[in-house]
Amino acid sequence: MKWMQFFTPVESKDYKETQEMISDHSPEDITILDVRQPSEYKQSHIPGALLIPLPQLSDRVSELDPDKPTLVY
Amino acid sequence: MLSGRGFNQVYNVSGGIKAWQGKTAVGPQTLGMDLFDGTESPQDFLKVAYSLEQGLHRFYLDMADKARTPAVLALFEKLAAIEVKHQDAIFDAYIRMDDAAAVSREQFDALTEKSAGEGGLTTDQYLKLFDSDLSVETEVISLAMSIEAQALDLYQRVGARMKNADSAAIVHGVAGEEKQHLERLGKLMDTL
Repeated sequence: MKWMQFFTPVESKDYKETQEMISDHSPEDITILDVRQPSEYKQSHIPGALLIPLPQLSDRVSELDPDKPTLVY
Repeated sequence: MLSGRGFNQVYNVSGGIKAWQGKTAVGPQTLGMDLFDGTESPQDFLKVAYSLEQGLHRFYLDMADKARTPAVLALFEKLAAIEVKHQDAIFDAYIRMDDAAAVSREQFDALTEKSAGEGGLTTDQYLKLFDSDLSVETEVISLAMSIEAQALDLYQRVGARMKNADSAAIVHGVAGEEKQHLERLGKLMDTL
């Protein structure tokens, strides 16, 4: 059996592109979303990243602005 | 999960936090959702979901083999067993649909197994894509969480499109359990 390709297509940005996107936008115009666990976030995170752990994401989507570019890790 | 909910500018930070820490970045994480073009029927979704549960079941058994602590082993074995129950629920949802062709469980198995064999990734290829170090339990759990999140997202979208109330309730029930899986994996991660 092979895995189905069931992932929602999402464009990837590498480190350099991510940095450029962040510096090209003022902080209120971009969402940096950290979906890891709080302990991992505490250890290190991209400056300005909002923490919504993956298990909570489906319930908290309304906290995010769908019109803003959103970087997720 | 976000791109299916009106977020048009979602970007995956390739390599995640590792890239920011100056470590080697992983390869591309963009997988096409080749099996979906947005026009599929709920029946088609259920066939995919059934295959997905099959894949999840085998994935968790593989992960259980690699587990290094009794807690992780027990969790993966339990998750594997639950995925079989999800397959039962998905088949049940399928045969309850008004316009679904009458099929036996064996015929449904054959139907979904066939579609699962067309393309896609082996578990090893999948693991390589995420560059996970399976000797590190937090990485194994992160990988499992990413898979559960995709499954949850799929079921929520399927549930929203179901016209048959019984089928929708079953799919929502399975989605709820996938969400619990995510929460349990998250809690386990916090203990490591």
